[in-house]
Amino acid sequence: MLGRTAVASSSVSVPAVSPTIPKFLGLKTLSYNSFSTPNTKWNYNFKFSRKNIAASKMETRASAQPLKNADELIDSVETFIFDCDGVIWKGDKLIDGVPQTLDMLRSRGKRLVFVTNNSTKSRKQYGKKFETLGLNISEEEIFASSFAAAAYLKSVNFPKEKKVYVIGEDGILKELELAGFQYLGGPEDGGKKIELKPGFLMEHDKDVGAVVVGFDRYFNYYKVQYGTLCVRENTGCLFIATNRDAVTHLTDAQEWAGGGSMVGAIAGSTQREPLVVGKPSTFMMDYLANKFRILKSQICMVGDRLDTDILFGQNGGCKTLLVLSGVTSLSMLQSPGNSIQPDFYTNKISDFLSLKAATV
Amino acid sequence: MNTAKRAAQLLSSHNVTSLFDSVEAFLFDCDGVIWKGDKLIDGVSQTLEMLRSKGKKLVFVTNNSTKSRRQYAKKFNSLGISVREDEIFSSSFAAAMYLKVNNFPREKGGEGILEELQLAGYTGLGGPEDGEKRAEWKSNSLFEHDKSVGAVVVGLDPHINYYKLQYGTLCIRENPGCLFIATNRDAVGHMTDLQEWPGAGCMVAAMCGSTEREPIVVGKPSTFMMDFLLQKFQVSTSKMCMVGDRLDTDILFGKNAGCKTLLVLSGVTNQSTLEDPSSTIQPDYYTSNISDCLHLLGP
Repeated sequence: MLGRTAVASSSVSVPAVSPTIPKFLGLKTLSYNSFSTPNTKWNYNFKFSRKNIAASKMETRASAQPLKNADELIDSVETFIFDCDGVIWKGDKLIDGVPQTLDMLRSRGKRLVFVTNNSTKSRKQYGKKFETLGLNISEEEIFASSFAAAAYLKSVNFPKEKKVYVIGEDGILKELELAGFQYLGGPEDGGKKIELKPGFLMEHDKDVGAVVVGFDRYFNYYKVQYGTLCVRENTGCLFIATNRDAVTHLTDAQEWAGGGSMVGAIAGSTQREPLVVGKPSTFMMDYLANKFRILKSQICMVGDRLDTDILFGQNGGCKTLLVLSGVTSLSMLQSPGNSIQPDFYTNKISDFLSLKAATV
Repeated sequence: MNTAKRAAQLLSSHNVTSLFDSVEAFLFDCDGVIWKGDKLIDGVSQTLEMLRSKGKKLVFVTNNSTKSRRQYAKKFNSLGISVREDEIFSSSFAAAMYLKVNNFPREKGGEGILEELQLAGYTGLGGPEDGEKRAEWKSNSLFEHDKSVGAVVVGLDPHINYYKLQYGTLCIRENPGCLFIATNRDAVGHMTDLQEWPGAGCMVAAMCGSTEREPIVVGKPSTFMMDFLLQKFQVSTSKMCMVGDRLDTDILFGKNAGCKTLLVLSGVTNQSTLEDPSSTIQPDYYTSNISDCLHLLGP
């Protein structure tokens, strides 16, 4: 079921890395121009390269331990990375005890970072959401997969004269704009219709050098065809996915088909695998470790989803804590079919406060 | 694959007669073989007439689920080719038959599929009209779905939208025992004569992405439809020849079923793709288009 962990081998030979471009741990830095053939099969390796074998080897991990000594965990790390949906909030409702927990961690000198696969908002828009919920978080501490897509394009020196076709929502458009990239598509293409009749030809912009696909509530056949034509016909066109989550908690009441659906659609019509920038790919981890100059061993990843959050933490080589306040239940964690074991698990992050009190 | 694969032979005056004499039934794919979009490919009419006049059985096996068999028969007739409904095996028909064979209660589907389902006596929900529906996401609002849906049938759907993806996803993930059936998984096809368009493979992959499940595929290259063909025509598969334009569906279907296979280059596959070393699927024969049979065999 956790198909994303099984990555097929890459069949592309990678050119030498330029020494002047900052290198992200585990990610070979490539320049945009190295993608020369349109039908190159691309597979982004979620696990670390040979350099970090200890982190990536498929050893059987010990079962997750219930968190008993919160202090010990807190003292052992310098940074906490939090997923948002199911950890900080559910839909638009804050989870109990979150503000006090975050305050406590800050008072103990911990750095807080928020990493979400939800690409519908930009960092700035997330900043507003945090503010509305009464949380004191700065934009610089937020890393959404919308931001990751733009950051990725920057990291491979995506030429400014090329365009990006977006199958996704506003967050992606805003981040691309901030990063100085030209884009087409987005929500307004959701209103475009096609008629499959004789003599009809859909044209597409030959200057599109990347198609970015993420969660898209305005998904339709027009966008699928546009994106497919770019990927199949524009030489060297990149196919980037913000994330591949199967379902997501758009509202607190139920699950909704997630980005994995839209990405699956484009993978189905192009017969190519995308480059994934969101969890469990370590792109965002590498980015923030580099930006804040922190060691992975000094980080604890806190999330509610095994195949994105916890795998992300494990791939990145940091400690992992699963909270049961989101999509994963204890029985799912303990099910024989589950092979992803975080270091610790607990009900919700405010347990940091209550468990801490208990050990005094 | 370690065994040396026999490369496809170009159809020529040397081999056409032996092929022709050994085959009693010709199975034709439609898109890229008979027509492209709504335009008939040159020489098709005369070729089919010639085959019929020589006593060959003709069958049309298409993965395109947008029409029912009845609607396909209409299309053939409007293009001047006389074909009976029961000579047509569309993946829409296959989906309905799959449910029948498995004694099925209720399901959801897409256009041609809906008609076939109705003809087979099933109730279908969804289809093209859901293309106009929109989902709403507000706190405390619930997206409802029919808990009695027992199968989700996914095929080519130019009216794909988030509402349908969500509806299908909920049925598959939450209704116990709900089946996930795909008419086919073709990545692209010639929905219009001028270019290729995303095929059912796209919609099916979207559903796989949100359900994390693999579908039961009833169309080519699955040989599910072959059982019905055998029942109907009483011809052994070795006396059949599958004629198609796609290696990973048409030709693979033919090979899986034990038929002879003939690839035509009038559709999605060109000569260089066929000859590419990474193409592991090799038809017995290949030719430019089906009217070559007419020219090589004579009237």
